Formats: sequence, C-alpha cells, structure tokens
Amino acid sequence: MRALAGHLLADVLRTQRWLPPLLLFAAVLGMLYASDAGPPLAAYAGTCVLVYPVSAWLAVVVAGAEDPVRRAVTVVAAGGWARVQVAASAVSAAGALGLALVAAVVPVLTQPRPYPLAVVAQGFGGLAVCALVGVGVGVLCGRPVVDRVGWSLLAVTALVVLLLLFGRTPPVGNVLWSLSHGDGVPGALALSGAIGVLLVAGATALATALGPRRG
Amino acid sequence: MVRLDRIGKRYGRGPWVLRALSLDVAPGEVVALRGGNGCGKSTALRIAAGITAPTTGRVTRGASVGYAPERFPTDVRPPAREYLRRLAAVRGVPLRWDLVEALGFAGDPDAPVATLSKGNAQKIALAQALHATDLLVLDEPWSGLDAAAGAVLGELVASSAAAVVLTDHHGHDVPGMREVFLGEVGDGVVVIELDRVGEAFALISGMTGVSSARPVGAGARVEVRAGHSDGVLAEALRLGCSVRSVRS
Repeated sequence: MRALAGHLLADVLRTQRWLPPLLLFAAVLGMLYASDAGPPLAAYAGTCVLVYPVSAWLAVVVAGAEDPVRRAVTVVAAGGWARVQVAASAVSAAGALGLALVAAVVPVLTQPRPYPLAVVAQGFGGLAVCALVGVGVGVLCGRPVVDRVGWSLLAVTALVVLLLLFGRTPPVGNVLWSLSHGDGVPGALALSGAIGVLLVAGATALATALGPRRG
Repeated sequence: MVRLDRIGKRYGRGPWVLRALSLDVAPGEVVALRGGNGCGKSTALRIAAGITAPTTGRVTRGASVGYAPERFPTDVRPPAREYLRRLAAVRGVPLRWDLVEALGFAGDPDAPVATLSKGNAQKIALAQALHATDLLVLDEPWSGLDAAAGAVLGELVASSAAAVVLTDHHGHDVPGMREVFLGEVGDGVVVIELDRVGEAFALISGMTGVSSARPVGAGARVEVRAGHSDGVLAEALRLGCSVRSVRS
C-alpha cells in the first residue's frame, strides 16, 4: 500500500496541478495573517473556510492525476480498484492534513498575540476536520465518480458552498460557529470529525464501486 | 488463470457489448480473441483484467495480473525506468529491466515515457504487464513493434507460465495458441487482398465461397467464407494474381 501511495503521489507531483490550490492557500493565509488577525480561535475559523475548499480541490487533483488508461494499468498492477482508491484517498488526506498543520502553526509564528498550546490544538482540530470534509467532497466530485473536469469543478463548488451556507449545521458550520464563539469546540470537533471520516470512507467506497462500472 | 463464466456487458441502458461469453484459460495457455471491430474484444479483456465489472456473469482470476492497453497513453510523464520500478514496487516484485532489454528497447531509460517513440513506449507498456505471474491481458500487443521485437514478444508469450489472453489484428502465430471468436461481425470470414487481378476479377468473384469482392486499384479485396479460403487462394495464384494479405 505504501508503494502504491508513493506511485500515486509521484504522479500528482509531476502533474503540477497541485500548484494552483497551494498558491491560493498560501496567498490567502498570507493576507489573513499579514497584520493582526484578531482573537486566535476566530482567526482559525477564518482559515477553516480556506482549508475546506482547498482540500477538496487537492483531492480532485489527486483523483485525476492519472488519465483513465494509465489508471487502468495501475488498478491491474495493484490488484483491484479498492486498493487504488484507498491509496488515493490516503494521499489526499495526508496532503490536506499537512495544509491544516501549516495553517495551525503559521499564526503562532507571525501573530503578536499569544497562542497557547490548548488554543493551537483546538485550532488544528478544527482545521483538520475541515480538511477531511474537504477531501470527502473532493473524492465525491473527482474521478471516477465525476469524469469530466468541468462537472467536477461545478460539483465541488456547489457542495462547498452548500455546506458553508447552512449556518451552524455539521460538518463545517458547527465547527466555524464554535471556533468563532469559543463555545463547545470539543463537542463540535468530535461530531464533525466523525462525519468527516465517514464521508471520506463513504466517498472512497462509492469511487471503488463506480470505477469498474464506468471502466 | 482466468475463468469468465457467461459474462455480459452493457453500459447503462445501451446495447449489449458482450453477451454470455464463457472462457477458461489455464496457466501457460495462450488464447487469442478474434472478431471484427466493435465485437467486444477490448471489453472482454478489460473484464478479464478486472478493470471493468461485467453486468452479468462471474469472473475468477489469479492474484498477479498484468494488463497492456491497446493504446498506451502519450502523456506519461515519469521516465521509463522510474515508471517500471514504481509499478514493480506496487506489485511487490523486483524490477525486471531484462524484459525491456529483451524487447530491444532503444530509447533513453531516463527520458519521460511521453517522449519515446510509439514502439519503445509499447515495449514499456508490455514490460510492466509481463511482471505478472498469473494472468497476462494484452490488447493488440504487437502494434508498433518491429519484426525483431514482435518475434521476442511471441516467445515471451509462448513461454510464459501465466495464462495469456490477447487480441491481435495482424495474425501473429504463437505456438499452441487457441483462437476464440467473438460476435457475428466478420465471424468465419477470411479477407484476401490481391494485386495484379486484371481480367481474373470476374472469375474470382464468381468462385464458390466468395461472399463479396470489390476491385481496389489494380487489385481486389475478396471476402471468403471459412473453409473455402485455400481453394480461392490457390485459384487466384494460378490465375496470376499476387497475394498482398490474408486475414481472418
């Protein structure tokens, strides 16, 4: 499984399609923390809104790094669709959690306010949950579930906006609300974290089921 | 090995691409799927390899499977050697660069696969598939290969301990290869292409077993029902025609 994930990762890095979401991430993060970003938890809520769509975009990039014919070769060499989809989701999740970690640490280094460890931990928790939900949305909207790039973009945008619109509802809205109000963060993280993990697992299972039907 | 048990395939509510195909290929055996364009050969191969799920029927296959697609994508960015090493690692076996050398690879092993010639890219596609030990699924494996590499491929396929299923439009002969015909399109028809036909065209088109004949330049394209091809061919040669190709 490690060799398979390494193979997929090497291909993703070669496509350079990861560059646009990463540039967006770096640019917005830089703008947010260029000056005083306000109370730490509220600032983390702001970066959660950033990490969520960037993670979704990243997962779509990972899902589509190999064209369908080469994906077929990889699927056969790996011994089935399930292993390839699990490895792809693992690569996406590792990348997204890496972004969450960066977004959690950057304000500690740049902000004049104190960032106690407990606050950073809560902030990272919120960012990690939003990253996982983003990966789930990305896997749902990328190959082989959605085959065309245009439809992928539309589906990701629609799902991202939809989950952000519904105020305090999980899996994203409750995390944002609890972080910005400093109220009930652990409960919101536990609930939405569980939903995020289930979403990634369900999306991976769907991709595994649809791959051989579309193929 | 691979066993296809009455498999059928249709996409959505579209037409059936394959219907009730049963096929058993034992270890060491070579089976060529034959049939005209669009009769479902590639689909049958993709189902055998486990890329596509059949709509009906069951497939059982060995664990270590290799697949060489009909058209290897042209945008493979990693260098040839690195790509093969990574796929071998995915299989958990050491890289066998000797396969690439045996096929007469003449490109730069550290250049991206995308920059290789069609023939050299095909050798990379074949080499990654030949790492498998239970089942080889090869879609038009000879396409783009020169005569020397084609002969080596024939030997590799014939001597493989794995079950081999392949398609081939060019009538390559592998010792002990079994042929399986798919669909009705072109089934049991031998196509003979002749040159220098001239006056003999009327005679040939009227012969027993000829289902259709049409002039092509100075020659002719003649479709003959299986079983009559030898007679038609002998008669065409006696009449002074020159044979350009014979395909079934």
